[in-house]
Amino acid sequence: METNENNDHDEATSAHAGETSPATGSTSGHDGARASSNSDEGELYGVLAEFDSPGALVKAARKVKDAGYGDFDCYSPFPVHGIDEAMGIKRTILPVLVFCGGITGTFLGFLLQWYCNASAWQWNVAGKPVWSIPANVPIGFETTILLSVFTTFFGMWILNKLPQVWHPFFRLDRFTKVTDDGFMLGIEAKDGRFDAVETKKLLESAGAIAVEECYLDASPANTKMPMFIYGVIICTTALALVPFALVYKARASHSKDPHYHIFGDMDFQAKVKSDQYNDLFADGRSNRGEISGTIPRGWLNDDTSYAQGLENGAWITSFPTSVEVSRDLLRRGKQRYEIYCSPCHGVDGRGAGMVAVRSQKIGQGILPRNLVDPGAGVITQPNGQLFNTISNGNNTMMGYGAQIPVADRWAIVAYVRALERSQFAAGTDLTDAERSAAMGATP
Amino acid sequence: MPKAWFIALGVALVLASIGAYCIYHVVMTGIGAWGNNNSVGWAWDITNFVWWIGIGHAGTLISAILYLMRQQWRTSINRAAEAMTIFAVMCAGIFPIIHTGRPWLAWWMIPHPNDMQMWPQFRSPLMWDVFAISTYATTSILFWYMGLVPDLATFRDRSKTKLKQAIYGVLALGWRGSARQWHRYERAYLILAALSTPLVLSVHSVVSFDFATSLNPGWHTTIFPPYFVAGAIFSGFAMVMTLMIPARYLFGLKHIIKAEHIEAMCKVTLATGMMVGFAYSVEFFIAWYSGSEYEQFTFINRSTGPFWWSWLSMVTCNVIVPQFFWFKKCRTNPWIIIVLCLLINVGMWFERFVIIATSLSRQFLPSSWSYYWPTKYDVGVFIGTMGLFLTLFLLFIRFLPAVAISEVKNTLPEAHAGKDH
Amino acid sequence: MSAAHEASLHPDEKYKAGKMGQKVVTGGLVGFVVLTALSWLLSGSAAGHTADGTGHSRFFYGYLIGWTFILSIALGALLYVLIHHLVKAKWSTSTRRVAEILAGTFPIIAIGGLVIIIPLLAGRDDIYWWANKGFDHAEHVSASKHTWLSPAFFAVRYVIYFAAWIGLARYFTVRSRKQDETGDLALSKQMQFFSAPAVIIFALTICYAAFDFLMTLAPQWWSTIYGVNYFGGAMIAGYASIALLSMILQRTGRLQRSITTEHYHDLGKMVFAFTFFWAYTAFSQFMLIWYANVAEETVFYNYRMFGEGWKWVSIVLTFGQWLIPFVLLMSRWSKRILPLFAVFCVWQLCFHWLDLYWNVMPNYHWGAEAHGAAHLVTGPLTGPVGENNVNFSPVDITTWFALIALFIAGIGRGLKGNLIPVKDPNLGASVAHENY
Repeated sequence: METNENNDHDEATSAHAGETSPATGSTSGHDGARASSNSDEGELYGVLAEFDSPGALVKAARKVKDAGYGDFDCYSPFPVHGIDEAMGIKRTILPVLVFCGGITGTFLGFLLQWYCNASAWQWNVAGKPVWSIPANVPIGFETTILLSVFTTFFGMWILNKLPQVWHPFFRLDRFTKVTDDGFMLGIEAKDGRFDAVETKKLLESAGAIAVEECYLDASPANTKMPMFIYGVIICTTALALVPFALVYKARASHSKDPHYHIFGDMDFQAKVKSDQYNDLFADGRSNRGEISGTIPRGWLNDDTSYAQGLENGAWITSFPTSVEVSRDLLRRGKQRYEIYCSPCHGVDGRGAGMVAVRSQKIGQGILPRNLVDPGAGVITQPNGQLFNTISNGNNTMMGYGAQIPVADRWAIVAYVRALERSQFAAGTDLTDAERSAAMGATP
Repeated sequence: MPKAWFIALGVALVLASIGAYCIYHVVMTGIGAWGNNNSVGWAWDITNFVWWIGIGHAGTLISAILYLMRQQWRTSINRAAEAMTIFAVMCAGIFPIIHTGRPWLAWWMIPHPNDMQMWPQFRSPLMWDVFAISTYATTSILFWYMGLVPDLATFRDRSKTKLKQAIYGVLALGWRGSARQWHRYERAYLILAALSTPLVLSVHSVVSFDFATSLNPGWHTTIFPPYFVAGAIFSGFAMVMTLMIPARYLFGLKHIIKAEHIEAMCKVTLATGMMVGFAYSVEFFIAWYSGSEYEQFTFINRSTGPFWWSWLSMVTCNVIVPQFFWFKKCRTNPWIIIVLCLLINVGMWFERFVIIATSLSRQFLPSSWSYYWPTKYDVGVFIGTMGLFLTLFLLFIRFLPAVAISEVKNTLPEAHAGKDH
Repeated sequence: MSAAHEASLHPDEKYKAGKMGQKVVTGGLVGFVVLTALSWLLSGSAAGHTADGTGHSRFFYGYLIGWTFILSIALGALLYVLIHHLVKAKWSTSTRRVAEILAGTFPIIAIGGLVIIIPLLAGRDDIYWWANKGFDHAEHVSASKHTWLSPAFFAVRYVIYFAAWIGLARYFTVRSRKQDETGDLALSKQMQFFSAPAVIIFALTICYAAFDFLMTLAPQWWSTIYGVNYFGGAMIAGYASIALLSMILQRTGRLQRSITTEHYHDLGKMVFAFTFFWAYTAFSQFMLIWYANVAEETVFYNYRMFGEGWKWVSIVLTFGQWLIPFVLLMSRWSKRILPLFAVFCVWQLCFHWLDLYWNVMPNYHWGAEAHGAAHLVTGPLTGPVGENNVNFSPVDITTWFALIALFIAGIGRGLKGNLIPVKDPNLGASVAHENY
């Protein structure tokens, strides 16, 4: 661990810095003229003073401020308390920026959700309003935080004029102590009150343990950004554009290559599909037709009275022998009738179903047959003919053979017969017991 | 130390590889490779997701909330805890993405104009998750990085090779510890802490909304948001201790992470554990008080039904185990702390499992009642995320400042000399 | 040793209460009696509930709101004391005695609560529907409700809650006052040691008290977060009241140098934090119930969102109790300019009362006199939304003031001896405390 080595390393560094100070040669007072005499050094950037404690730094900072300096700064490994006030640093505007960033985040978060769900794609989910504000609060909150965080983070670096990986003070070995245990104060030469001699005197009188001059590098090549960094920036930018260029190209280009299959075994299953080529058969088709002279199991239909309602070419008037008319059959027939027949013929069979009513309302269509009216003729039809009508249709009525199985068709026939009878029932149809019960029920 | 570090890294990488293989298998086969081919569709997957997210929350709590409360002991562990947050969120994020079944389409959750004319459905709590977790990950990374910068500058100034100087130099962004910079930096740090606090509250609340907005008995209860947050901090602190206690010994950080810091963390764990236990009891009481037979059945089924063993583990580890922290002996003996913390982590995993498995296996329709049992891929993916987490943590602790150097210095008595001017 | 601690106070500091307490007690009690009598008269002569919002039930409803209001202040102050010891805080030492005085009001609040409990035990249903005969015949009320909601058991729980709170408050107040005389550090240790179990007792009692006193007003309805939500409101009220009482004491020339802007700044932070927390719990409860849309639960918000008047109360509450103070208290200046901060404290207390009003009052319209026998069986929150409108009554306000007067009398009892823990070892650090 690096932190472990702290102590030994510290001393080594500071000893090293104290001994040599290669940048300026000496820490003792030289005048500013020395700068021009040294060919390595460029313009004087400023002076840097080191103090032995945060307290001394604060005192010095106040003194420098009181002397009227503006372009100076203190450097320390951690924020020193009281230094803001000593240096006269104004409170940063950052919180205000963050507040604005946060409000923008709230607004954008709700706008996004409003646009997506209440404007562009209004989709009913669980019967909730398309713009459900309570459900939008969590995301509105998160976007508020996110934009506040971005404003804080990037705002702080921008206000601090960072990243700036190079700074003149970095040329001084002493300055590396600033991130360890050094407390420094630097005054820049551009300050109006700066004077190489007076300023250093001021710092020394403020209790500096060492004062150093800092010069800019004499050779302009060293102060400029190296060419390779420009190269890196240009290359990175160019490379970053490549994916977008590819996407752009893909929008309009055609390719004969099949697309990439992620799930081979799902896209290409080991089975034969109906329209595929198959070399097992002479005609090369996978799809095989029925084999002549065969019928599927259960498709024989040799009982014409059951399958077609015909016996010896005439409609049967009773029920086929395999159909047993029972209460269950009638119940089944009622249920099927109400599903398939009642929409047109009505629940009571008088032809006033929903479809019929509606078509009358809009003045279209032909009234369905009244099944129970003796005048309409259905009542007199033999059972076989009724069965046939259900199976194959009549006039504008379509056949229901495809939807209703044979057994159910017979159930419907039975129910229709019961319906016809019920609509014209006489009191005499009831037994005595039934009659008295019915009378009792309706006093 | 490096030898132990290499062995640990090796183990972590092996675990991570197992996870990578299992994820590969699950993605290529379909998520039915897990044991969730029944009504318990959330299974281990979401259990692990919630568990990892919860682990992460302690990092934010330590770095942000304790900062706001001026708890200076946090500086010894906050950097490691923040790193833990980021790694835990990474592990957590893996699960819902695989759980979509088609992870390569996960970007559909990002709102963007598309040829289907479809937009994300923002009334869904799962979309809230997307925003909450990604905001949380972003904020945690920025907060962590911002805290790292002054320490990276220290590394830069102490590096001896050019390469290290260049790398740390770029990462440190040219930080030079100027008072004017420190001023804005401190404000920004305070603001980020103040923003992270409600954020961490919202993230686990949103996770709890995934459950609580539904109608499922046992999920739909209004105390879920604060209860989940307390549980998250509870498990997170246990995880911080699980990591930091060995690190103290292995990396010789005993003089920085002091015994009283560990003790303070034990107390926080106890407090949050009590909150979790309190929420359990309120849930049971309200289920009884409400008179709703579904609620009542759910809670009876939780404790006595087919998953009784998971409920029992949960109550034992989350309610009974932390009670040992009442005793100073238990708060000072590293071995006891480690065992208790591991049990708490197990217990908090079981808490999510109990919530998911018992409620989903007994929904309103008895026809969809089922039982959940993990397959080897459930286990493998979970182990894999642990491997990933350990790998990242080991790399971090070796190559980045694991202790917030500048913040620790700031809390030393010498730093306050400046006040007595 | 103790001399050193006392030295942390400025030599000119006035920290003795003197004889102000007696006057405050008398004034408070007179105010309470007068205002209660006035409220009773204002509530008309009809017994029970009436459709026009008068009747003695109105008096009891208003009284319950005012009573839970002062109770929440005392609870907030009590937790301040507990947390202070639990986390071994330093900054909060200066204002701790003020909090202890506020927490010392529990006995008088317990006596004030008898106005609710005695009629209940006598079989009256002025407040709680479950005390009505209709409750026994109501559908969908399970056996568990009949067990929990019987007047006798309710009264037993009332005694338990107040025994716990009075006990806790006394434990810490007595030791704190004793330390004033002896300066014994062992007392600090004792208080720190007991604070952890004390917080547990506190958490359990406040949660179940909120269920009992407020949530059972609509016994068909439930929400697990309800107690936490009341706790959030109580903390806002507690911290705001500590700040206000400190300011009032400073107006009398006392504690000029030991309670500083820094302390108000920190109290303001806590008011701000709990404003957020309250909104968080309130939103969690609302959003989850709104989203799941289960009939038994949404009924609570049905009245408060769609009732013509209640809709506006809800909106005002959202802005008044949360959004406006949240945005304004975020800034540093709003907590450090003391007259402004005082306004915020009063503001938050008023809206805390409105929050309780919003919780309690929609349950009012269920009585037989107002809506006939059917309502008697179905209970509160069951009729059409339109029937259940806000009609503010002067009784609501006079009962509130009556209970504030009672609370002031309770404060007066504590205004004696030192107004600051003079020999607390952390007092020096607290007085010198600075925010950075």
